[in-house]
Amino acid sequence: MATNGSVPTVTIRIQRFNPDADKKPYLQAFQVKAPPGKTILDALHEIKEEQDGSLTFRRSCRHAICGSCAMNVNGRHMLVCDAPLREHVDRHGVLTLRPLAYLPIIKDLVVDRTSFWEQYQRVKPWLIPPENIPEKEFRMSAEEVAALRDAEHCIMCGACYSSCQVIALTKQYIGPHALLKAFLRVLDPRDSAPAERLADLDRGDGVYRCHTIFNCIDACPKGLNPTEAIETLRKLVIKRGAFEAARAERQRRLDQPIEVVGEAPALSGGE
Amino acid sequence: MAPSDVITHDVIVVGAGLAGTWAAMSAMEAGVRDVGVLSKLHPLRSHSGAAQGGIAAALNNVRPVAGTGPRGPLEQIPPDAEPIDSWELHMFDTIKGSDWLGDQDAIEIMVKDAIDIVYAYEHMGCVFSRTPDGRIAQRRFGGHSTPRANYAADWTGHVLLHTIHEQALKHGVKFYSEWFALDLIVEDRVCKGVVAMNIQTGAIIPMRAKAVMFGTGGYGRAWKITSNATANTGDGVAIAYNAGIPLMDMEFVQFHPTGLYRHGILMSEACRGEGGYLLNKAGERFMERYAPDKMELAPRDLVSRSEQREIDEGRGVEEDGQGIYLDLRHLGRDKIMERLPQVRDIALKFVGVDIIDGLCPIQPTAHYSMGGIPANADGQVIADAEGTPVIGLYAAGECACISVHGANRLGTNSLLDASVFGRRAGYAIAEFVKGGAALQPVEGDPAAPAQRRIAHLMSDPPGGKGESWAALARALKETMTVNAGIFRDEARLKTALADIRALQERFERARVMDRSRRFNTDVLGAIETENLLIFSEVIAVSALERTESRGAHARTDYPKRDDENWLRHTLAHKTPDGPALSYKGVTIDWEKYPPQERKY
Repeated sequence: MATNGSVPTVTIRIQRFNPDADKKPYLQAFQVKAPPGKTILDALHEIKEEQDGSLTFRRSCRHAICGSCAMNVNGRHMLVCDAPLREHVDRHGVLTLRPLAYLPIIKDLVVDRTSFWEQYQRVKPWLIPPENIPEKEFRMSAEEVAALRDAEHCIMCGACYSSCQVIALTKQYIGPHALLKAFLRVLDPRDSAPAERLADLDRGDGVYRCHTIFNCIDACPKGLNPTEAIETLRKLVIKRGAFEAARAERQRRLDQPIEVVGEAPALSGGE
Repeated sequence: MAPSDVITHDVIVVGAGLAGTWAAMSAMEAGVRDVGVLSKLHPLRSHSGAAQGGIAAALNNVRPVAGTGPRGPLEQIPPDAEPIDSWELHMFDTIKGSDWLGDQDAIEIMVKDAIDIVYAYEHMGCVFSRTPDGRIAQRRFGGHSTPRANYAADWTGHVLLHTIHEQALKHGVKFYSEWFALDLIVEDRVCKGVVAMNIQTGAIIPMRAKAVMFGTGGYGRAWKITSNATANTGDGVAIAYNAGIPLMDMEFVQFHPTGLYRHGILMSEACRGEGGYLLNKAGERFMERYAPDKMELAPRDLVSRSEQREIDEGRGVEEDGQGIYLDLRHLGRDKIMERLPQVRDIALKFVGVDIIDGLCPIQPTAHYSMGGIPANADGQVIADAEGTPVIGLYAAGECACISVHGANRLGTNSLLDASVFGRRAGYAIAEFVKGGAALQPVEGDPAAPAQRRIAHLMSDPPGGKGESWAALARALKETMTVNAGIFRDEARLKTALADIRALQERFERARVMDRSRRFNTDVLGAIETENLLIFSEVIAVSALERTESRGAHARTDYPKRDDENWLRHTLAHKTPDGPALSYKGVTIDWEKYPPQERKY
């Protein structure tokens, strides 16, 4: 890292490509200061605002909840909004940014996620509730909620999808993001169609297409585990008849209080 | 730019956060067949998803353990026990939080619908946190007298947004992802459609509809330190104003007490709801001096002012003294991991503090826009103080001013407002469309003004060098922060206004570097900056005229609330000489909820 006073200057190499003007993608280098606390996204904003207004990337929330800014940083997929710049430069003070892999490039770091969203829609991400809706809430136990925690937290950024070696080969595969969403619905005691969902996953491009390479776990910026969810779905696919029967049984008590064995866990508040 | 091909729908919704998506889905549920939703982002990137702490509704699932006081532990309410909460209590808290500027008829609708809409989310699959017996879990929040924030860990907005988006897909709503609205087509108080840019191709497309609904979000990006996403540039508010719609109560902007130091990123109010402290340099819980009863759980306007006072009087923390400490250490690891996992992550990643054993530096951050496009409780946009409707135009959520939040919003009432009034707008639109509304004829080429603006931005600047929109935006944020921030006075507001007008003039010379059509975010940034400059002028003028302190509008030269002169809403109309102000009465039930002194 070249230093200027105490603040080092680093080089960010960014893959540029405008299909209307360029024959093929190329790398362009920019220099920025790297004070502590600066994120890669901050650096991208600075380059766009002060050096090259045509640099194109997606972003919005700035704190890893909207899922816009997933891209390839030195070969790994991550969100750049919460990635400290200094932690990602090599010993020569260089950082390389490319768009998410295996997706068509719209411009520079912006990719076309059409296949990603098509698979998301294909698993019918919405809940299919039972016929009898209670006046108040369905009752769910702490364990049932905890089982869904990973899946509900997914922000659909696409980091897992673009790291998946199966997706690299075929866009027919449902993909880790949509399988995690399917997991959310299948495991939710309020969902009435788990067997139907599992049947749809029991196909060549479904749960069995995952080669358990674990790239999705490595890439997930929220620390989620799609591979484990896919493993669970595989087990349930096999015994979906029994699972559906258990679900129907569970749904008979969905309006009934959960019985707590032992001491009830503490609630909010209290100093 | 591409030639203008016209797109037509029965209903066009602009914005795909909670308000817009609820409206689209509800309109289809109520029998409209053809609804299109535009978003300048992918819908799931909308800023509703960044809300953390909860959505308010008096469900009566939880109560304080008897004899433990206002900050003691909570327990589930036994089935046969007396309820502790009611919509009436929620209503009173909201009115008091609004410093009596909220319209009480609209507030009543919101707090009553609250209960039903939270159950609706639950029935649609939203994964809420739970009480031991399986009901939706509730926590305390500032300004609410009971624990009525219904939550999903500290990512409540995220799960609500994903849930409602899934439902909209199920109902067949057509989404236009990454389409940017540029103009409203309004003639003689009749709305005929919008003009939008397909960001991916750069084409400017007129879109005609029988009804148009705005759920375009807030305008916090006009300040340097803000919790808002980069998208929250008040586009809808500026577009409406340009089309001759007045803007209401724009001077009321909420500063959230716990933005992450220097970044402004939201550290949920749930931190304090769960029992967190605020400490100054001396380690004092200074809220004792400002709100001895509610302490850290006083409403946001009051807590932010208290923090700013500590900072201004030299009791701030960090090297520049501009911070305050949020202390969560006493909550313990388990509670933090279960209830506040997202804020823990944020503090770790951005300031390197683990809130389990460290003090987190925070500061007030521009957060929520109480003002906006005036609308009635059916979301119908109104054109004047008499409530004359603009036919076919609707608004809900943060871009709208209905007004349920008045001069200051309570935490957890925004997810509620967006959901309740988004849904109501959807139903009202369905009635309007099914009642025989027709596509209105449009004269000339409505896309022409937008085409001209963009061609101008891409043209060569006179004399060689144009202005940088980014530099203008930075200058605006600087003056808004210094001169139209938490504390205001006449001199500072006049400075802000002069600065804004000078920046508007300089914007005439702003040009973009990127002259390509495809996915041109340079053009987007320029237009967003122009939008910031448009509504910021309205904020400064409205704030300058309001010579009182009420809710989030704190004038050091007029420190008292003045009901005699100012118990009224500001309306700002665009004129060639700048915003022209008029005023509109506040709806108050003088018997049940007359204005009182606001103490916590």
